[in-house]
Amino acid sequence: MAIDVDDPRLTQIVDVLVQLASGDLAGRLKPSGARDTVDAVMTGFNLLAEELEAVYKEMEERVDERTSELTRAQEELRQLALNDPLTGLANRTLFGDRLRHAIDLAERGGLPPAVVVLDLDEFKVINDSLGHAAGDATLVEIARRLILAVRKSDTVARFGGDEFAVVIPDATADDAMRIGQRVLTTLQEPVILGDHTAWAGASVGLRLGEHGQSGDMLLRDADTAMYAAKAKGGGNIQLYQPAMHSAVQERLKLASDLATVIPAGDLTLHYQPIVDLDTRKIVGAQALVRWPHPTHGLIMPSQFISVAKDSGPVVELGRWATEAAISQLAQWRDLLPEGFQIHVNVSSIELRRRGLGEFVADVLGRHRVEPGRLILEIPQTGLMTADLTGMEAIVDLRRSGIDIEVDDFERGYSSISYRRGLPLDGVKVDRTLIAGIETDEQQRRFVGAIFQLIDSVGLRPIVEGVQSADQADHLRRLGYRFAQGNLFDPPLTVAAMTHSLSTP
Amino acid sequence: MSSAASAGQPFTTTLDEGGIVRLVWERGIAVTASLARAAMGAADELCRPTPRPMLVSMTMVSVDRPARAVFGEPSLTTRIALVGTSAVDRLIAGFVTRISKPAVPTKFFAEETAALTWLKADSHGD
Repeated sequence: MAIDVDDPRLTQIVDVLVQLASGDLAGRLKPSGARDTVDAVMTGFNLLAEELEAVYKEMEERVDERTSELTRAQEELRQLALNDPLTGLANRTLFGDRLRHAIDLAERGGLPPAVVVLDLDEFKVINDSLGHAAGDATLVEIARRLILAVRKSDTVARFGGDEFAVVIPDATADDAMRIGQRVLTTLQEPVILGDHTAWAGASVGLRLGEHGQSGDMLLRDADTAMYAAKAKGGGNIQLYQPAMHSAVQERLKLASDLATVIPAGDLTLHYQPIVDLDTRKIVGAQALVRWPHPTHGLIMPSQFISVAKDSGPVVELGRWATEAAISQLAQWRDLLPEGFQIHVNVSSIELRRRGLGEFVADVLGRHRVEPGRLILEIPQTGLMTADLTGMEAIVDLRRSGIDIEVDDFERGYSSISYRRGLPLDGVKVDRTLIAGIETDEQQRRFVGAIFQLIDSVGLRPIVEGVQSADQADHLRRLGYRFAQGNLFDPPLTVAAMTHSLSTP
Repeated sequence: MSSAASAGQPFTTTLDEGGIVRLVWERGIAVTASLARAAMGAADELCRPTPRPMLVSMTMVSVDRPARAVFGEPSLTTRIALVGTSAVDRLIAGFVTRISKPAVPTKFFAEETAALTWLKADSHGD
């Protein structure tokens, strides 16, 4: 059948063809109902247009879906790049951006920012004794408290480990001090970890900004102030002062030196005799670590123990001292009077570290030294906060015949309720308790009461830091039998101590 | 011969003596997905419980894309013959059989006799 070129449907087909070609896929033809070939072509156009439209729609939907997946992935990447995955706080990169922004703000007429840097004091203890999961839970809780302690405009960041920082933009000195103080206070609250209660504590450094200072300088100074807070024993806030720099440098140098001298065996032990107040005979000695430093001379433990606690090798330090003291006992075997014991300090961190009992038993065995020759002195605070590992270590050590003594017994903790059924033998009475007993009647009565208290629970008191004959006399009359101090002997070198032991 | 209830619908479905379901659309109807589903539902009613072949008289003007997709859904028909004489019928049948994907063998015939032969071949196990 010939096609009629004047058929108006052909014009309609051309129009819709142009419409479809222009991208408007909604164009449709209206077949006449003749169901002839032209109607078939029109129907075919309609069906093809419908197919095209459907394919386009599917593609658009797929593009939308992929675009939103991409946006989500980009957001996740941004989060990863700028936030700490554990706590959700800003990371060092984002902190740097915010700090720069705060400095820019100051250059446009605002106040310079202040920077807080803080480091948790007891994080290592929590991690070592309760495990990494508890450590992580602590960090998350600390992050939550920090967010609550600062203003909305401040940025809290975690730099890794237990180090956090806050940038306080447009800060007056009062604002910054108030925020720093709030940070310190909130971190002093205990952290509840399931059945355990832990104290993280923090050393906080604060740097008030000045116009023209770079972000790096602010951060470095806040860090220095934080180290100064740490050097003061932690749990405090320090405002940056230029003089802090040299002290911190010194401390960092000491930490790096210490890490090498312990394995190299370059430390030494001195021994301070412990005497019987009645007979003045030597009944034991306390082993005291000394560090003969090539440039600083003989460094005392008070100067490097806190460095060891911060930088890590406190356990290695303690173990070195224990082994050295036991080895010395072996060398003195033929000189030792009956009942002579060496007192060795054990830190709270060592007590919590697994394997203390096995370590001591192994060293005693290797040097063939009787366990009864050794007394381990555990600080009072270590006993009060001992976890299960610590308490088991004490029981194990005592069972193997080693005596356990409470160290640093002082006024603030004049209760031995923390004994908690632990098998203890003695108590080291701190020098601060006996200061003034020669003249102060009240103090004398108090020291007498302390003796009664210690004696009543079956423990043996040893007083340290006895300086004068008067003090020794009063102590003896109050019931005390054993003491150490410069009145009798200062800490002695091995040679001097050997000489003392050889001279009856 | 029985017919399914399709009152008010633009199609009729019947089951002939030969056991073939016949679907006849109202002339000039544009088949949408809901109409297609109603028609296939009515056909299934006639088949139940035995699956049967179906003959569709093509008198519609168009079958849109969603309606064609209905022929890809499971039903009680075993094969479908599309019977039509016009160029429009052939075109629509082409879209149904080649572009959409019917669930059962589907074929276009210009004559009913040939369609019936093909459908019956199925009932003999073809």
